[in-house]
Amino acid sequence: MTAAAIEVQDLRKSYDAVEAVRGVGFSVAAGEIFGFLGPNGAGKTTTIKILCTLLQPTSGTARLAGLDVTTSPSEVRRRIGVIFQDPALDDRLTAEENLTLHAVAYRVPRVDRQARIDEALRFVDLFDRRKDLTRTFSGGMKRRLEIARGLVHRPEILFLDEPTTGLDPQTRARTWEVLRDLRQKYGTTLFLTTHYMDEAENCDRIAIVDHGRIVALDTPAALKRAVGKDLVSARTADPAGLSRLLQEKYGVASTPSEGGLSFMVEGGDAFIVKLLTTDRPALEGISVRRPTLDDVFLSLTGRQIRAEGAESNLARVRAMVRRR
Amino acid sequence: MLEVIYALWRRDMIKFLRDRRQLITSLTRPLLWLLAFGFGLRASVRLPSGGPDFVSFLVPGLAAMTVLFASMFAAISIVWEREFGFLKELLVAPVPRGAIVAAKILAGSSTAMIETAMTLLLAPLFGARYSPLGALAALPVLLVFGMGVNALGIIVAARMRSFEGFGSIVNFVIQPVFFLSGALYPVAGLPHLLHGLVLANPMSYAVDAVRGLCLGHRNFPLALSVGVVVGSSVVLAALASRAFRRMEA
Repeated sequence: MTAAAIEVQDLRKSYDAVEAVRGVGFSVAAGEIFGFLGPNGAGKTTTIKILCTLLQPTSGTARLAGLDVTTSPSEVRRRIGVIFQDPALDDRLTAEENLTLHAVAYRVPRVDRQARIDEALRFVDLFDRRKDLTRTFSGGMKRRLEIARGLVHRPEILFLDEPTTGLDPQTRARTWEVLRDLRQKYGTTLFLTTHYMDEAENCDRIAIVDHGRIVALDTPAALKRAVGKDLVSARTADPAGLSRLLQEKYGVASTPSEGGLSFMVEGGDAFIVKLLTTDRPALEGISVRRPTLDDVFLSLTGRQIRAEGAESNLARVRAMVRRR
Repeated sequence: MLEVIYALWRRDMIKFLRDRRQLITSLTRPLLWLLAFGFGLRASVRLPSGGPDFVSFLVPGLAAMTVLFASMFAAISIVWEREFGFLKELLVAPVPRGAIVAAKILAGSSTAMIETAMTLLLAPLFGARYSPLGALAALPVLLVFGMGVNALGIIVAARMRSFEGFGSIVNFVIQPVFFLSGALYPVAGLPHLLHGLVLANPMSYAVDAVRGLCLGHRNFPLALSVGVVVGSSVVLAALASRAFRRMEA
């Protein structure tokens, strides 16, 4: 835990007139699980592409294990593994052939190759399917095979771009088990991007990004604490009356929701008790909820993270091929 | 480095041989072309007397044409792999870009050689007569020609985002190269302007070299033809490597 695994300073990337990444800086310790959380188009994928040497930054520096990504890309490439948002497997090769090619490309010593490949396949529970063409695999199996591939050369840092997008909840949970085991067993540093709040909860620390900037960076618990307020939802037949009461008596702004309204206050439990003992419109129900990362994002940016336009590039190509 | 090139070449060959439909198409296409061109054009092309008969004359041209089409369209795998993501896996690997391009060029031209070998093997069934040893000696020329063609395909593919885009540009390039190469007819009697274009077309030299080796009937010295074919392939391979390096995943 001496040197930082990832060290980024004032990173910027512009495409023509658009500034996708606007001065991002952070550092990730070795063995840490670090997440980039933000909506689509926030600059997450651009950042990950710069870190894994696929894109040149417009300005700023990024160092991985002390190596600069722009001046020594091949040294960096040897130390990292990358799992892309869309599967990057050769689907006309078998699972084993995909890993073998990877082992050769990353110069895994010939004597170690087969053992490493078998170990990686067993790690993700795909050893029995090693002779099958990957085109016959489900989405979750493909993702697991990609994780296995990422392990074959024992990278110091593993990058994962939206690792569980498009997977069912069960497969997602299984993928996370594998990722946590990975850190446990090999001490691998994990850097991931996501727009799922529950996925971000798995990280040691999260950088919340929006419009190419980091708007907050801390542990999930600390971020939620910083919001400080609980979310109260009240069901009532008279939302207008209740809203007026909240505004006039407590200075609390509320937003209409289904069957009533919701609002954020400090100390939600105590506030409910106070509310119940005042003269107020009739309530049909009331609930209080601790802030989630969603609320953190909302309070920082005034917007919610929505999975808008989450259809992946691959799905788009598939659709195009089908139309032909 | 060599091992990576070999592993990548092997990957493309495995996929080519595993894809039954592609394999059968590439084995039968030469047969179709022999039938269509050999018998279809025989009546309408008049060759100088004392030379080879038309079918024999045509076979070296068809062999080169087979390489031109097969090797050029093999480069579509770059578009395919970029769209379906596999290319990214290669681009983040600690593999020099030049090694990836070299493997692609070798694989694309190797699959084309399977096809052109079929053309040369089947041609005698259609009455073509040529020197088997000469045909064997022509294979390396065809291979180098195929490498240049595949490199040209990579240059196009590196700039294309869609299969349709690749197809239309490639057809636009392939047709003049093919028709102005002397593959189908003798170029001696062409008007000046067209003859100039034939002389500027590297494929003319590939066709002439192969025809010379198979039939002993040639327009240019063999050394010149081989020099042009090798030289143009080297230049195209260098340009392909540059185009690939500049491509964004």
